[in-house]
Amino acid sequence: MKEKDDSLRDDALQHLDEMTCLLYIERQLDRAKAQEVSAHTQECGACRTLLRALERESRLLTRAMLEEEEALPARLAQFQERARESMQWIWTLAFGLAATGVYALYTGYIEPWQRQLEQAGFGGSNLLSLLIFQGAFWKGWPSMITLLEVLALVTLGGFAVAFLRKRVGRGSALAIVLAGFCAALALQPASALASETRKGESVGVAHDETINGDIFLFGDRVRVDGTVDGDVFLFGNDVNVDGHVKGDIFAFAKFLQVNGNVDGNIRAFTNTMTIRGTVAKNVLTFDDVVNLESAAKVGGSLTIFVQKLNLEGNLGRDLLIFTKHFTLSGKVGGGIRMKGDLLTINSNAQVDGPIHYEGNKEAEVAAGAKLASPVDYHKLEHKPKYMEAHYYVWQVIWAAAFVVFGLVLFQLMPSFSGEAVGNAERYGASFGLGVLVFFGVPIAACIACVTVVGLFVGISTLFVWYAALYYAQLVVGGLVGQWLMGRTRETWPLIGRMAVGIVIVRLSTLIPEVGGWIKFGLILWGLGAISLTLYNRFQPSIAANAPPAPYPPSPLPPNTTVGGMQPA
Amino acid sequence: MSAPGKTEPAGAIARARTGDADAWGELYREYAPAIFRFCRRALPTREDAEDATMDVFMKLKDKLVQYDQSRSFTAWLYKVAANHCWDVLRRRKTRQDKETEDVENVPLEHPDPNQLDKLIEQRTSEEVRRALEKLGARARMALVMRYYSDMSYDEIADALGVRRAFVGVVLLRARHELRQALGQGGALAAGGAS
Repeated sequence: MKEKDDSLRDDALQHLDEMTCLLYIERQLDRAKAQEVSAHTQECGACRTLLRALERESRLLTRAMLEEEEALPARLAQFQERARESMQWIWTLAFGLAATGVYALYTGYIEPWQRQLEQAGFGGSNLLSLLIFQGAFWKGWPSMITLLEVLALVTLGGFAVAFLRKRVGRGSALAIVLAGFCAALALQPASALASETRKGESVGVAHDETINGDIFLFGDRVRVDGTVDGDVFLFGNDVNVDGHVKGDIFAFAKFLQVNGNVDGNIRAFTNTMTIRGTVAKNVLTFDDVVNLESAAKVGGSLTIFVQKLNLEGNLGRDLLIFTKHFTLSGKVGGGIRMKGDLLTINSNAQVDGPIHYEGNKEAEVAAGAKLASPVDYHKLEHKPKYMEAHYYVWQVIWAAAFVVFGLVLFQLMPSFSGEAVGNAERYGASFGLGVLVFFGVPIAACIACVTVVGLFVGISTLFVWYAALYYAQLVVGGLVGQWLMGRTRETWPLIGRMAVGIVIVRLSTLIPEVGGWIKFGLILWGLGAISLTLYNRFQPSIAANAPPAPYPPSPLPPNTTVGGMQPA
Repeated sequence: MSAPGKTEPAGAIARARTGDADAWGELYREYAPAIFRFCRRALPTREDAEDATMDVFMKLKDKLVQYDQSRSFTAWLYKVAANHCWDVLRRRKTRQDKETEDVENVPLEHPDPNQLDKLIEQRTSEEVRRALEKLGARARMALVMRYYSDMSYDEIADALGVRRAFVGVVLLRARHELRQALGQGGALAAGGAS
């Protein structure tokens, strides 16, 4: 009877809204409003029930949250403040060592090389920038592109991305920066990009032909008999340059013969190179055998990585050579700096500058040779590197450099790096994919290089691949760090773990005999994890309203409903 | 946390303020489990909670001198933890920016109390915890602050950076989200009229 009365009264009353009920049970209403609610619930059964339900909901929430279903993790069992403080010292030390490493690297290697190359006539550029950046890929930039400037550009780009990321999404920020670089590229003079390409079994520039601009020649037999008023890019098995090239020659060939005149430089990768003609500027080359015959004249310097060099002709300036055997019968206008096995100087040779020779055997100098000064010979020492203190100093510097490299990468790509570290735990997949990528990518890149369109892509891919070899070690370092210090998804703790892990990884690679193999395995592992992450990133995500997968649903456990477990 | 009704270790707090390492250890052992559980409820993963617990105690050491001893240490500690967890979520951009929404936008409706009663009766604590994990950052944070650490509306407003009048709305919406996550959609979760 009472329920019926309540029900009739409820129909006549305006019910309280849920917000008011919640604020009432939470004691957040003022006194007057609370009294009003209280009076209403005396009359209204529905609102009374709602208040009760909300209170029960509150109690359920509190009970669910207070239950101790998880024990305190072991790593929290003791306050790790001291470890954290010590990490600050590690960071300071790492940065200090990295700064020292960069300085030592610059003063120990880069600066002397740069000086050497400058003396050899390469005017302020370093070897890497000469090989990769100068002229060949960014025509019109040769005056500005040095490795240092590229690094500066990359850094600037990184700062721009970081700056824009706070304002727009990461993808948009990257797009803006890339668009900026593309725009800068597009602003280069259009004429500088003009070039011609010829392909075939036997291709070339005919004797009476003149090419205005650059030319790319691809073929089994390639001949340049005419005149090219620009640069020549040669890709072939048997390549002859008998004509006149007013720019530079870039050659990838099995046999290269230069019998004509080149007003610029020669940069080449060959099996055998023979020069009988005249090169006005410098020659930089990687080969098996090089012959500068007696008629050959190189106005600038010669920088060469070769098995065997016979120099009978005339070299205007310095010679920098890494070789097994160098036989000199001609004239060198500058000095010689050689590292190799054997230096033979014949009686008709002439060298106007100093000769620094570091090798296994003492130089053989014939009696009649005209040398400005005696050969400065240093025997190559083959002491085990483990016996030298500076080896360990460098290992520490390298470890610190790795940490800094990782710091930059993990900061730039926190999510990707975290995923890569996670994927490294898929051991089989990572290792298998790592083997595939380690061997497959360079092969694919070399194939890409064979075409004009793929040249830039191929070289860039090789660079990315090479950088990934280092990144791979950082990823494994991150995983090792997580094993020791626990998992994390935060960027800075992950970087901390990476720093600890990379030190251990580097130490493991120092073990005599097996260290190299360990390093190789770690690289494969990390490279696979990175590749797996990339692969996952490129997988299309399934939309929320996508049709269900064609698999039968898994059977529900007993006493289960769609909404949850049935009460017992 | 000090269990409700349990006395706060005033002596240990005072000694910890002077840099006494033993007192620090005592405080840590006393409060670390509760703070870890708070972080565990508020943050998406166990690893996040572990890191956050460490960070909260690191902050605590720096901030202990600012603690007003006339107030509850537990409440103050939860405030530090809540601010830290919210910062973590905010940095990850998982925070839902609804600060601009007004109280007037809340549906002033009367859900079916019997349905709500039934839902509460059927659900276990374990199910509620699992449902909590599905909530948005703000909703979960609000519920944890209110029903785990018993923070006042003023403290919640301060931690979340919203107006005090908006706290009730946040809590009610959070409850709606929770009901939805518990498997009861429709009128009940949306606060539909009976």
